[in-house]
Amino acid sequence: MEAAGIPAGQALKPRRSEVVSEFISKYGLIAILIAFPAYYGIQDLIDDGNLTRIGNNLADGLSNGAIWALVALGYTLVYGIIELINFAHGEIFMIGAFTSFALWAPLGLNPDTGTVALVLGLLVTLIAAMLVSGSLNVMIERVGYRPLRGAPKLAPLITAVGFSFILQNVGILWLGASQRGVPDLIESQKELVNIVGISLSRGDLLAFAVTVPLVLLLTTFVGQSRLGKAMRATAQDPEAAKLMGINVDTTISLTFLLGGLLAGAAGLINTLYQTNVWYFQGFTAGLIAFTAAVMGGIGNLRGAVLGGLIIGCIQQISDNRIGNEWTPAVIFAYLVLIMVFRPQGLIGEETREAG
Amino acid sequence: MRVRWLAVLSCLVGVFALGLAACGDDDDSGGSSSGGDISGNELTIYSSLPLQGTSKGQSEAVINGEKLALKEVGGKVGKYTIKYVSLDDSTAQNPGTADEGQTAQNARKAVQDENTIFYLGEFNSGGTKVSLPILNKANIPQISPSNTYVGLTTNDPGSEPGEPDKYYPAQKRTYARIVPTDTIQGAALATIMKEDGCTSVNIFNDKTTYGAGLAKNVEQSAKDEGLTVKGNDGTDKNAPNYRSLAAKITADCFVGSGVTGENYVQVFKDVAAACPDCKLYGPDGVAEAAFTDPKQGGIPADVGARTKVTVATLSPSEFEKQGISAAVKFFDDFKAEYGVAQPDPYAIYGFETMDLALDTLKAVGDKANDREAVRNQLLTKTKGRESVLGTYDIDQNGDTTLTDYGLYDIKNGQLEFVKAIKVGGG
Repeated sequence: MEAAGIPAGQALKPRRSEVVSEFISKYGLIAILIAFPAYYGIQDLIDDGNLTRIGNNLADGLSNGAIWALVALGYTLVYGIIELINFAHGEIFMIGAFTSFALWAPLGLNPDTGTVALVLGLLVTLIAAMLVSGSLNVMIERVGYRPLRGAPKLAPLITAVGFSFILQNVGILWLGASQRGVPDLIESQKELVNIVGISLSRGDLLAFAVTVPLVLLLTTFVGQSRLGKAMRATAQDPEAAKLMGINVDTTISLTFLLGGLLAGAAGLINTLYQTNVWYFQGFTAGLIAFTAAVMGGIGNLRGAVLGGLIIGCIQQISDNRIGNEWTPAVIFAYLVLIMVFRPQGLIGEETREAG
Repeated sequence: MRVRWLAVLSCLVGVFALGLAACGDDDDSGGSSSGGDISGNELTIYSSLPLQGTSKGQSEAVINGEKLALKEVGGKVGKYTIKYVSLDDSTAQNPGTADEGQTAQNARKAVQDENTIFYLGEFNSGGTKVSLPILNKANIPQISPSNTYVGLTTNDPGSEPGEPDKYYPAQKRTYARIVPTDTIQGAALATIMKEDGCTSVNIFNDKTTYGAGLAKNVEQSAKDEGLTVKGNDGTDKNAPNYRSLAAKITADCFVGSGVTGENYVQVFKDVAAACPDCKLYGPDGVAEAAFTDPKQGGIPADVGARTKVTVATLSPSEFEKQGISAAVKFFDDFKAEYGVAQPDPYAIYGFETMDLALDTLKAVGDKANDREAVRNQLLTKTKGRESVLGTYDIDQNGDTTLTDYGLYDIKNGQLEFVKAIKVGGG
């Protein structure tokens, strides 16, 4: 997490090659990030005389990216504190989505439900999805990862993969293995506002309205609360944190709880936004969100959010300009380029391992 | 001297063993590849269809049709008793379509069964690409109730290089289908779009053998009809949504060339939202309740109201209108057997698949246990066949000469027959 730092060493005069490398790392990366939208923006200006199309791509990208950001935060939180890639996190997100959908019918939520009842019902669904996903994540940590705390890193990693498959199969048993369309409760794609040709839908608004407060809450919690400080201390040096009286196990559980809560929220938003659920959605989302976390600098909260938003934008631009079938290749090509220029990710984080 | 003699003997034994092994290989891959008689009086007919996921309803309809046909002959042809074995070519992880591994396993199971005389399947063209070469090597006659992909039987437009020869390693045809190919379906879709006043079309395809192949056929036929093709884009099943892809649609009509199991409910929803004035068209790959019925996770009613679907079958009343009495009898019998008056469109194809197999066996009489005789009968002597689908031939490629496609609306979550589309050509 962001509290982790490196003691400054004796400053040496950098060599010319290092200066060039640093320059490329800093500005080359910015150039890469801007190149994609800039190229198509210029093309739009030439073809249409305005930037409406690229504007719409970016608006869609940011709302999609907001969902990825919520999932990515779970990866980065866990990695920051125990340096484990929790491969089951995507499935925690899927379980959140399934829980949300499962509650709609008992709560009487359908496209004809009145606004007040819908808002209240969705609030209940949101809380339930967050609690289920959060509890499940804590349980997995307690059962699967805690006993392996001192084990070689491969052991918890494989355990995480195992939990991922177990939860996927739970999803298959729950709703079958096919993608399933769900009622469009909020008329997700209905235009809410149009600013100079850039359309914002209800789904877009929902994604921002839930993600932004949750991210602010999380960053405030981690940055300013006592428990947040304990998390940062544990991330920096668990042994020292223990000596300072911090209950490391509880702190780690808390981290899993936070990640799970965010994944549950993302599950509901995703269900409302995409209007479908699928047992495999967690794997796909997990892959994207993990990529976002790595892109932003794994272990860094702001990096995860930034990575999520960037991937969302790349996805939508690629879908619209290159083709949906090539989008995964474009995203990962971007990731590779960013890693080449800046292995620590966009914002970067010096983890215990690295630092 | 003794040592030299032993060495020569060892070599001879080695050569003999190699010969046996080679023969063994032939047997493994080919079963009764020589077309030799099946011993005993029991013949097995395998059915291989996706029994899980979105295609489950269609597959069950096919199976019910097949069982009905078998029941009508009392489960016997001449002196032979027919054993029917239904296999699932989908898996829990890959439902709604043929899983390649599972399909290969099903085909091998049929090959290893010495009593196998027919293999009915696959439902998906992509599955048949896997099972056909395996069955072809064993000279097992195969009939598909639903494959439409062009490249399985011809190298006509829509096929890939090397097709169809690569599916027939034995260098003789063993495969027939009773559904018109996508050349016809593509033309039917183009015809109906033209009739509906479309001037241009955007096509999405699901990148499967079926979807991508059909998209090529639609593209060609649309051009022939004078429509402008604005794009033919592949879709990724795992994509979270298709909003931005749909946003690039500039045509007044859209064809979703894919199957429900490849996330085509989401594709149609996103296209409908991005292009509110577009007319929407789907092929037989989405002609199922999982696509049409919102209660089963299908497209919402308002999107359904804008969507037309083509399927290579007609309604009971249309069959009656065309004077196909066998079809009328089929619907009566089906209702009597299963209590369903309006079965899934594929039920009649299931019936005809089995009926064709049984009539082929009947035609060869005592040689019904001879795969080569049965294959020859199916592929060279099925001419002027009067069936529940009308009168047709199986041509030299294994294709039916039927060309009628049915046009369906979606109402109350169900397909509702509108009219027959008459398409010429091949």
